[in-house]
Amino acid sequence: MILDQLKNQFAIVGVGYTPQGKIPNRTAVSFHIQAVKAALEDAGINKSEIDALYVYRHFDPISGDYDTTAFTVAEQLGVRPSVIGQETYCTRGWLYNGIGLLASGLARYVVISYGDNARSGRRSFVKELAGGKATDDLAAFGDLSTMAKYSMQARHAMDTYGTGPDVWKEIAIAERQWACLNPIAGMYGKPLDDEGYFSASMVAEPLRLLDATPNSDGGRAIVLTTVERAKSLGHPYAVIRGFGSANQPVLPLKICVDDPNAAAKVASAKAFSMAGITHADVDACELYDCFTYTVEATLRDYGFFRPEECRDFLRREHIGPGGSLPVNTSGGMLSEAYFMGMTPISEAVMQLTGRCGDRQLGKLPGTKTPSIIVCSDNGAVFQSHICLVLERGE
Amino acid sequence: MDFFEPRINADNAPFWEGCKAHELRFQRCKRCGKVRWPAAYLCPECLSEDTEWVTLPNRGTLYSYVVMQKPFHPSLAEKVPYVIAEVDLAEGVRITTNMFDCDVSALKCGGEVAIDFLDSETYSRPIAIWKGASE
Ligand SMILES: [Zn+2]
Repeated sequence: MILDQLKNQFAIVGVGYTPQGKIPNRTAVSFHIQAVKAALEDAGINKSEIDALYVYRHFDPISGDYDTTAFTVAEQLGVRPSVIGQETYCTRGWLYNGIGLLASGLARYVVISYGDNARSGRRSFVKELAGGKATDDLAAFGDLSTMAKYSMQARHAMDTYGTGPDVWKEIAIAERQWACLNPIAGMYGKPLDDEGYFSASMVAEPLRLLDATPNSDGGRAIVLTTVERAKSLGHPYAVIRGFGSANQPVLPLKICVDDPNAAAKVASAKAFSMAGITHADVDACELYDCFTYTVEATLRDYGFFRPEECRDFLRREHIGPGGSLPVNTSGGMLSEAYFMGMTPISEAVMQLTGRCGDRQLGKLPGTKTPSIIVCSDNGAVFQSHICLVLERGE
Repeated sequence: MDFFEPRINADNAPFWEGCKAHELRFQRCKRCGKVRWPAAYLCPECLSEDTEWVTLPNRGTLYSYVVMQKPFHPSLAEKVPYVIAEVDLAEGVRITTNMFDCDVSALKCGGEVAIDFLDSETYSRPIAIWKGASE
């Protein structure tokens, strides 16, 4: 099968960071190009070696920006890749596209980039209205926001499997504990306890403000290439041991919590099978956590626990610092910064290459040096999913 | 309580016409029999374009619901809190709707609802009425 031939053939060789959090007076594109520049330096390659550039989801410009497109990112980096692309919506296609180009030899290096000035520009994620007019049927029911749609799934899981705020608070608190070990995290130095969680205001009940990722300014980029080229670069990297991608292109309202073909289930089954690993082989998870419930849904759909076991599995002692399955060790999008799939994936690479300071697994008491980390990237409302099994490369 | 006028297009117009007549009308594929929503030009099961509009019963079960506590638009500031609900009708069709004047603490996913309609000046829309948790 083709997937088996692709095992251990590709690697993430560079990660690029920018200042992040609240960084006013910056355009979105400025974060993209700063992140890509840093990723190229980290990889040790020249910009002329970028043959493909994929830019995360296209947003409407805010803060007086011009439109941020793949063209503008390439232009301002002074590069002319053969392939440039951008998501128009949250369709996570960059992985298969990038791997395909590398596998065929059409590309030497593929760069994936995210950047936004969402925090300073107070970006709204309401897509159901444009200029006060409905863009679909949902506005007629006051169903404005991605959060309401995730909350709908969270409520169904709550009534069906017994999860709820006292489980989601464990996720929020565990990620905050990680963030407090990460000086660049938005919530560094701001510990969270039960009282703090429950005092956060309800937004789309049952989800609260602290169940949702806050906006960040900043950017993040990664460089993909073949393992053969990775070896020639002379520094540690992360091997892609397994991967899977799946889409569930249906309206969010048609997503079912117990769907056997959920995108995360299909994508992770492919990735685990390709990698030849079981759950016991996983040293940590870095997961897309737009909401606390997304972490529960992803770990459940990946098969780490049965739906009704959520309460036992999702405890801060288990997924937080010192726990046996560290989850979102940078603080995640919830408590570090929101750069979509780049937040979890870059952290996995940093952990595997041993560059995580106080939160470094293997140095932090009660943890082991990670050799395998599972990552997710998720698009829209559980509609598009990427699962990656990354391994330390020598 | 009205929010915003729905976006009505060539595909979904008969659904919204049905709402004015207080009927839940959906497309059924005349080839494979599958009832579909959202409205679409052809059947996503078998790609047949041969379609009829059928009326489903005005009842269903509550898949899930959310209590909107924060307004995501300035015009909603005086409308919160309100309930958005997703209801499973017959034939595997699930719709988005609202529930008003209900005891939110009594709601439970899987419970039974009846569908009524709320008439606005230019359109009507389905509203779910809580009938109680299923045993
Ligand atoms: Zn059909």
